[in-house]
Amino acid sequence: MKTVDIVERIEGEAKLICQWDKEKISDVKIQFLNFRGFEFILKDKPILDALVYTPRICGICGQAHLKATVEAIEDIYKNHNEELTLTNKAKLLREIGLNIEIIDSHIKWFYMFIMPDIVKFSNNSLEEYSALKGKKWLEASSIASETIKSLAVIAGQWPHTSYMVPGGVVSDPTLLDLVTMQNYMDQAIRFYENSLIGTNLDTYLSFNKSEDLYKVKGDLKDFITISFENGFEKIGKSYNRHLVLGDSLSFEKGKISRKLTKNIDYENIEEFTTNSFDIDKSKVSKEAYTWSKTALYANSFYETGPLSRAVVQNRSFVSDIHKHYNDSMFTRVLARMDELGFLLSKTKELIQQININEESFIKPKVSLKDFHYGIGQSSVEACRGSLYHDVEIENGIISKYDVITPTVWNLGPGIDNKLSTSQKAIVGIDSLEKAKLILRSFDVCSVCTTH
Amino acid sequence: MNNKIKKPKIVWLQAITCNGNTHSLLSANANRLKLFLDSFDLVYHPSLTTDTLLNDLLIEKNEIDFLLVEGAITSNKDFFQISDQGINEALKKLVLKSKYLIAIGSCASYGGVHQKFEQNDDICGLTDALDETDISYLTHPIINLTGCPVHPEWIFQTLFSLKEYKKVPLDEKGRPKEIYSYLAHHGCTRNEYFEWKVEAKSFGLKEGCLFYEQGCRGPMTHSNCNKILWNDVNTKTRAGMPCIGCTEFDFPRNNMLETKKNIGIPDEVPLGVTKRAYLSLAGVAKTFKIDRLNEKIIK
Repeated sequence: MKTVDIVERIEGEAKLICQWDKEKISDVKIQFLNFRGFEFILKDKPILDALVYTPRICGICGQAHLKATVEAIEDIYKNHNEELTLTNKAKLLREIGLNIEIIDSHIKWFYMFIMPDIVKFSNNSLEEYSALKGKKWLEASSIASETIKSLAVIAGQWPHTSYMVPGGVVSDPTLLDLVTMQNYMDQAIRFYENSLIGTNLDTYLSFNKSEDLYKVKGDLKDFITISFENGFEKIGKSYNRHLVLGDSLSFEKGKISRKLTKNIDYENIEEFTTNSFDIDKSKVSKEAYTWSKTALYANSFYETGPLSRAVVQNRSFVSDIHKHYNDSMFTRVLARMDELGFLLSKTKELIQQININEESFIKPKVSLKDFHYGIGQSSVEACRGSLYHDVEIENGIISKYDVITPTVWNLGPGIDNKLSTSQKAIVGIDSLEKAKLILRSFDVCSVCTTH
Repeated sequence: MNNKIKKPKIVWLQAITCNGNTHSLLSANANRLKLFLDSFDLVYHPSLTTDTLLNDLLIEKNEIDFLLVEGAITSNKDFFQISDQGINEALKKLVLKSKYLIAIGSCASYGGVHQKFEQNDDICGLTDALDETDISYLTHPIINLTGCPVHPEWIFQTLFSLKEYKKVPLDEKGRPKEIYSYLAHHGCTRNEYFEWKVEAKSFGLKEGCLFYEQGCRGPMTHSNCNKILWNDVNTKTRAGMPCIGCTEFDFPRNNMLETKKNIGIPDEVPLGVTKRAYLSLAGVAKTFKIDRLNEKIIK
């Protein structure tokens, strides 16, 4: 038997084609049928315009794309032995902006994109979670819009600003601006404490073993209860291999296959189009079924995202839960909400570290137009995982721009009889509804996947 | 609440988009968003609602009051499919059931960033995608709410106005006059620097105007960003980022973060001013050496 289903509410849509054998999914194809061609759009554009274009790859993680672009450009300088100096203030303002975007996305994702579906598996009627009407949905949308104001203070607006430029940032916040940002963070922390976890943030951050799950209250407890009632801790398991490409004050890079290594080499990243469409129709193989490409690290599929970040960084609570339940759907969702708490605390700390007397921007001495040829690479941690940019310029004009988004790592097609991360997580499942939930536990972003 | 009064029905369709306008809407002032959800019946949004699927809407005969479209349109099914059909097919079916058609953002209005994907040569905005027959049942000309993204308040103001007064006056590019008669320049906290021709020495400063070096399009971009503020708190130009003209027909242009100049003079001058007049004025203004404007604001 074969079923074809359209999955919405994933920032676009995907088609899930399942092959069934004895009431279990024996094969699955995830199709993304929309293609916007950003890598083609960027070609032949002046390199600095990429700062305006790439945030528009995605309305949710635009700041991650901006940071990846600005760091790839700075890598071009570095490769010409013209490394730019960044003040600590500029570095902090960039990372804080990106973190706030992740915080906003995590709040929205839990309440707006996944809980309205998770509660359908509950034995109780949880109407408070219903989209657009439910009390919790409205509360979450309210706190998300308050939280993102703290980013607008330094970036001018959200979504779609280009406040990071080679050499620093364009803004110069005052002390009161920083206090305002702290206030918005405090509001978000209160929401996290009162609504999501039902306990004090510091108490929560001291949780370090899976038994502490019983101490979690609030809306996250609803999720935990529904998960154990439905066995979500047993489904959605994939290779349990994890990848974090981005390095920052908040995250550590590294990978786990059998064991953890902090050594990451961009040379090991490969992208394949064997099962993907090509804009040149004559090159499309018979096997092609999606616009997403396949991304591999050292010839293997890796998962990327909050769960991977937590285990690579060895954050104790999630790491211990992971020891018990591996990369299950339950662990994946829980890790995302755990990261929300971690980032709220971390970001507040980073704001406190800013010294307003430092420069925000130090003008590069050399123009990119002066480089006959240049290459640069970068990677940052976006809401959904590792984002990688690889750019090549000639006389200041983009000759090649390659982007690998987190969702390509997680949701791209399998290759050479190897199932991709998400395919492997879905195969063996006994219901289409669960399969769709597993798919969405990766926090799918359709627009990013097919950029 | 009086449930007997039927709320106007809104359908939000997504075409070729980054979802930026959706997230702009979701980042709206919470009270405004709540009032909006209480006053209208948002029956379908691909990212949000759970009750209705696009397919139901396409099949059913019920009328739609407001059809909101986010994203550019294409007839090319190879590059874009939604619920097993081309986006232009779905759009045409829905427009025939709708009273008002509103382009949400610059992509839906004129093609925007997505129109730069030249390998698909028929990406366009709503007006170009539809012909007379398609729009024959609309009770109002197509409304273009430009911006990349659109400000959520522009959506609310337009919808509430239409609900109350049935029409809004539009400019020659189909944009509501009351939003787009302003320039992004109006209300910018850097205006005094502009008046006295004091340029920003570099990025990363509170002081100075971004028009002379950093490419700011504030004086020639129709929008009221600096009047209503983004996320209730700020704007790009106030923060220190040049306006990139994202509400205009020609967005995105090339070299958006620098000012094109000719013998040291900006190639384009503020809207409605001749170059000659601008130069005389600038010359005079520059003779005023106002110390206050050449120092740090906070010392």
